[in-house]
Amino acid sequence: MRDFKENEDVRKDKTLIQRFYGYLQPHIKTFILSFILMIIGTFTGTILPLASGLAIDQMTNPLLSLSTKIWIIVIGSIVLIITSGLSMIVNYYQNIMLQRVGQKITHTIRHQVFNHISTLSIGQLNQLPVGSLVTRTTNDPANISDMFTNTIVNLVRSVLTMIIILVILLVISPFMTLVTVSVIPFILLATHIYRQLARDAYRSMRTKVSQMNAYLSEHISGMKIIQVFHQEKKKQAGFKLVNTEVKTSSIKEMLTFSIYRPVLYFLSMLATLLAIYVGITSIFEGILTVGLFVSFYVYVGQLFEPIQQMSEQLNTIQGSFASAEKIFDVLDTKPDIVDAIDAIELTSFQGKVEFKDVWFSYIPDEWVLKGVSFTVNPHDTIAFVGATGSGKTTILQLIVRNYQVQKGQILIDGIPIETITRASLRKHIGQMLQDVFLFSGTIEENITLRNETMTEEAILKASEYVGLDYVLKKQPLGLKQEVKERGKNFSAGERQLISFARAVVYQPTLMILDEATSNIDSETEAIIQTSLKKMMDVSTMLIVAHRLSTIQHSNRIIVMSKGSIVESGTHQALLNQKGLYYNLYLLQEDEEKSSL
Amino acid sequence: MIFLKHFRHFYIKYGWSFLLGFIILIIVDYIQLEIPRIIKLIIDGTEQGLIVDIDTLLIPLTQIAYIVVAMTVGRFLWRLFFYGTSHRIAASLRGSMFNHLTTLDQGYYVNQKVGGLMAYFTNDINAIREAYGLGLIMLVDGVVLGTLVLYRMLTLQLWMTIIAFIPIALMGILVFFLEKKMELKAKEKTEAFEHMSDFTQESMSGITVIKAYVREAAESLLFFTRSMSVYKKSMAQIQYNVIVNLIIDVMITLVILSILAYGSILIAYAQLTAGELTEYISYFFTLLWPVFALAGFINTNAQAQASAKRIHTMLETKPTVVDPLGAIKDISLDGSIVAKNLSFQYPDGQHNVLENISFTIEKGEMVGILGKTGSGKSTLVEILLHLYNVNPSMLFFTGVDASLLSIETLRTHIGYVPQDHFLFSDTIANNIGFAFDTMNIDQVIEAAKLADIDGNISEFKEGYQTILGERGVTVSGGQKQRLAIARALIKNPAILILDDAVSAVDTKTEEAIIKNLKKIRKGSTTIMVAHRISTVKKLDKILLLEQGKLIGFGTHEQLLKTNTVYQDMVRRQALETMVIEGNVHA
Repeated sequence: MRDFKENEDVRKDKTLIQRFYGYLQPHIKTFILSFILMIIGTFTGTILPLASGLAIDQMTNPLLSLSTKIWIIVIGSIVLIITSGLSMIVNYYQNIMLQRVGQKITHTIRHQVFNHISTLSIGQLNQLPVGSLVTRTTNDPANISDMFTNTIVNLVRSVLTMIIILVILLVISPFMTLVTVSVIPFILLATHIYRQLARDAYRSMRTKVSQMNAYLSEHISGMKIIQVFHQEKKKQAGFKLVNTEVKTSSIKEMLTFSIYRPVLYFLSMLATLLAIYVGITSIFEGILTVGLFVSFYVYVGQLFEPIQQMSEQLNTIQGSFASAEKIFDVLDTKPDIVDAIDAIELTSFQGKVEFKDVWFSYIPDEWVLKGVSFTVNPHDTIAFVGATGSGKTTILQLIVRNYQVQKGQILIDGIPIETITRASLRKHIGQMLQDVFLFSGTIEENITLRNETMTEEAILKASEYVGLDYVLKKQPLGLKQEVKERGKNFSAGERQLISFARAVVYQPTLMILDEATSNIDSETEAIIQTSLKKMMDVSTMLIVAHRLSTIQHSNRIIVMSKGSIVESGTHQALLNQKGLYYNLYLLQEDEEKSSL
Repeated sequence: MIFLKHFRHFYIKYGWSFLLGFIILIIVDYIQLEIPRIIKLIIDGTEQGLIVDIDTLLIPLTQIAYIVVAMTVGRFLWRLFFYGTSHRIAASLRGSMFNHLTTLDQGYYVNQKVGGLMAYFTNDINAIREAYGLGLIMLVDGVVLGTLVLYRMLTLQLWMTIIAFIPIALMGILVFFLEKKMELKAKEKTEAFEHMSDFTQESMSGITVIKAYVREAAESLLFFTRSMSVYKKSMAQIQYNVIVNLIIDVMITLVILSILAYGSILIAYAQLTAGELTEYISYFFTLLWPVFALAGFINTNAQAQASAKRIHTMLETKPTVVDPLGAIKDISLDGSIVAKNLSFQYPDGQHNVLENISFTIEKGEMVGILGKTGSGKSTLVEILLHLYNVNPSMLFFTGVDASLLSIETLRTHIGYVPQDHFLFSDTIANNIGFAFDTMNIDQVIEAAKLADIDGNISEFKEGYQTILGERGVTVSGGQKQRLAIARALIKNPAILILDDAVSAVDTKTEEAIIKNLKKIRKGSTTIMVAHRISTVKKLDKILLLEQGKLIGFGTHEQLLKTNTVYQDMVRRQALETMVIEGNVHA
């Protein structure tokens, strides 16, 4: 199955950033504020080594009296406690604020993606795997917010920390700083090489791991064949091969960081050694105090940390951009059926449907309907029969405008279907489909589809109408009984009745039943038969049924074959004709006999 | 640490590696603490006039340089020993697991999901690998480095250390417990996320219904609340994490500030030197990692234990379909099969799936097995393949009781075409020659010709070296079927079983395949499972099953005359063909 079409325009980083900004804009004040707080927090967070150095200098100063020193300690401690406290509070608020912005943006994007997907047509959605729809709505937005909340801020913090430390170092001793910083190019080079190697090693490992997983999943599924052909030994050898590849590539990947980390340690210690050397000689010359030397020494240890972090943060940003592209691909997919700008609301509907020489194909030039024409009058009950693939279901799909016809015209109460809004059209049409889909929740929620405006009375009436009341009586909680995922705790017949009640409670003018009675036992069938007869009095009915017993009472039966109408008439008339319908009828009689 | 069977031997096999890793890690832990001491000597020496020129300065600096070089090498080596070994152990475990899986019978696989088995190879193995790598490192660092640092701090400043250590120890304990709470919060968030994910999954799957009833707006609102709940739970988790970090921060900062203030007082009273204070603060920062490491080890270890237990259980599962003692191996099967009152029940089943079935298939016969879904056709095939055990004296191959026959001998004599035409993502040649260790390409081509697929294969650019499946070309159902047939035919087996293998092709192709088979299989036994009359009509005999019972056995003509069930089937299928093909007046 294909995925959303990739849109080249959104691939430009500039456009991406502009679109990101669109999401950020409502929160821009908070975002800026948290940035300011972050800057304050970073400043106060880097104060400690400087304080230690100053303390050492004052304490070892022979010119100061003991009581002065104690005063300095007291005042210094108070200042430090206040700044540290401030730094923590600022950090706390900055963190929370920023995370809130990020989470809100995720939430907004999620909702937007979800809503956008529901505007796409059934034809478009059927081509997309549900799994990818779910990922676009749930995981991808989270990746984007990660960029807003963690990555960008940490990146800025890393840069800022480096700048602050460098400034302090420069103030303490420009020459020492210069000497220390001379290591940075090597660190950058090492990091650059590491990133290249690590990315390759990581990719190669991921590929090998997915190859192994594919091998495993395939061979676990095909274990029967392996055993029947007695090829266990061969496959064990095969697995050993992929397994060894995973091992080797994992160890290679491990080696890259096992080398990088110690090298980085080595380089930063080299810088420290240089700092000590220059620092101590400066002390000899009397241009540096011991205390400031200690501060310098501690800062050098902290200087290089941000560099590694920055390299990781850049990777995350790449990931976020990839997710963003996927999301924008979804949002940029235009629904292929949209209401015309001047589309009208179908306020009332008599129930008249007209097909005029309708041609339709899902795939260009493979016609599923070839010039189909018929008229359904209000309160008519029309049945469509025919072999699989004859086009029956397609007709019903076109009436609710899940697809657009290529040739011909469909008229609803004499109005061309294209000029009616889809929502207003569907409000008048009840659909009972072959694949009954129940949502997890309660029976009631499945009948009303969580429409709060429906009264319990109306629900119970509908249930009674379709014969669901017998099922409800069996349930300890009645309407409030839990429905598990896809209704697996109910039989096919019960599920069908619930979906029938769903269709009835919405009081449609036109009722569509697509193979709705094919999966149910004869007892339930009898119940539905009775309610169908009741329905026929109030609604126009269009039925596609496999069981001919379901449709015997229709006003007219339309027999389809290969996209065309081949026979049409009442049950009796068609039997007399001894055509396709007659054969179908014989076949079913036979089946019923043999299933006894 | 894992000491279950299947894990114990790793300590012997990789003992040297672990031992070296331990030694190096301990050395590194020890010498890294030397650096602050030397720095102290430099600072104090400078102040006290012991280090006065470059020569006296270079002595301690060279010492540090040696230590740095040693540590750089050491840090690389212990990573190599611990992480490298953990990868080797993981690979070795995966190997044993896969090998063991190949010995387990179908009864095991019926109760397992592929995804579940895969999780052993991914999640569980990862947890174990983590424990052998980072887990062990955290344990050693926590214990060794922790003890060493504490010792140094205590000798340097006894009371300051006792006072400083209390909040840090408390923090360690707090982190351990808070991590549990953090996991809970994370779980709540994951649950909210899954809730939303499930809802989305359901919504997208049921979108037809939603659109049919114009409930898009309502559905959107419901999604909004789900997404909102993710937002709230995420924020709760984040808030908690931020607070936990804040507490840790507060504690560390307070201790540092106390050390700084108290240390300053001591310096003022000349009871402590500037160098000693610097050394002490360095030690204090070094102490933080062992505290976190121990908490981390406990959690990693707990996860690894649970995973090890699962893997252990899997490796301890005994296969039930195995050769009996003294199984008959050296026998050539001629293809005759006899069933005597054969009854069968699945290992965990409640009732018999096959009941009292008796039949005789002579060498060289072509027999069809016909019946509806659930009639027991596939079960019968599974028993013939000895995928499940059958009771003694019920089934005989060439007169030998199946329960005494070596499984390998039986299976080398049977060619099997499965219902789902399962093929491997491998070359076509390897797929057809699957039964052989070494491939004879002429044989492969011959088999492909017999299965009428040679023409299609030649059309592929890579010919017989074309790779099938996701990574290669996708073949149609019919082509898959014929490849599966070729794979079975190449063995030229005494017994060929086709399990509903020709249902995916139209009647014309089916006829051609059967005609071909009749020619090729002359003198060997062929069994075809089918649900279409057309498939079995022209075979030597038809075995008719219904609900696990044999209700007819004979030729098409015989059954047509005597068997009412068969008669009905024939009539109905004739009508069906008519309707589907639209030949109204045929």
